[in-house]
Amino acid sequence: MSRLLREFSIIALLTCIGAAFSLFNGLAPLPWVEPDLPAGEIRLVDARVLNVLWIDARGEDAYQQGHIPDAIQLNEDNWDDGIFTLMDAWLGNPRPIIVYCSSARCGTSSRVAERLRDALPAAEIYSLHGGWDAWVH
Amino acid sequence: MGTLKQKSLFVLIARLVLAGVFVMAALPKLQDPVAFATSVADFRIIGPEHSAWVALGLPWLELVIGIGILLPQIRRTSGALIGLLLALFIGLHCSAWARGLDISCGCFGAETGETGSDYRWLMARNIVLLLAVALVLRQDLRNKREALGSN
Repeated sequence: MSRLLREFSIIALLTCIGAAFSLFNGLAPLPWVEPDLPAGEIRLVDARVLNVLWIDARGEDAYQQGHIPDAIQLNEDNWDDGIFTLMDAWLGNPRPIIVYCSSARCGTSSRVAERLRDALPAAEIYSLHGGWDAWVH
Repeated sequence: MGTLKQKSLFVLIARLVLAGVFVMAALPKLQDPVAFATSVADFRIIGPEHSAWVALGLPWLELVIGIGILLPQIRRTSGALIGLLLALFIGLHCSAWARGLDISCGCFGAETGETGSDYRWLMARNIVLLLAVALVLRQDLRNKREALGSN
């Protein structure tokens, strides 16, 4: 038992030394620092070069005032109607889906994207970093 | 005598295969931990804030135990940890398969063109490796008993 404990300690120590080496040499990002681009998000510059299906997760008024061309309106309020429109569009031509809301501070796009990942597990789904603000500016 | 040598040869081959697989799996992840963190997060078991920690530690653990299974000083615990990791990977693949996730497994880094959705192949591969671990651990246990018996 003591030998197993000693072996485990050696392995743990070597692993920690290796991880510290990665951190100090900049091979790995600091895990406690929030990344520039959170997982599941995509930058507009990257989204523009893809053939994607846009989902507008803002409210009806904001959508009527302006939206990305061909964007489908889908949020938590009109989920049942919007999901059928989205299914039709996506099944007819499967492509990445990008959800956006009003700005970097809104959380709707992330929530809608998360819900869509459960509804369409085979689809590639992102939320747009910066939201509608990024598109307008 | 011949059978004994043959068995030892099988165990040696199993050790070398396990070492090779774990070292080869660790190196691409060490080179691109960000891509590996994304692969980990894609399993949707842990959040992105925790996947970065996994991406930092797991490749080094794989490298240490991959080499460790060849070193007499730490080979027993390395073998046991390899077995535990393989069992964990099989569980993760089962879970992802059951949830219908179409993701790359990230087993050998992100840029290897793995067919992530072929869960049957991934699980079959890990089960074969797990059998190799069982062979190695059984031999280690037998060696230990013989050493105790001769003392």
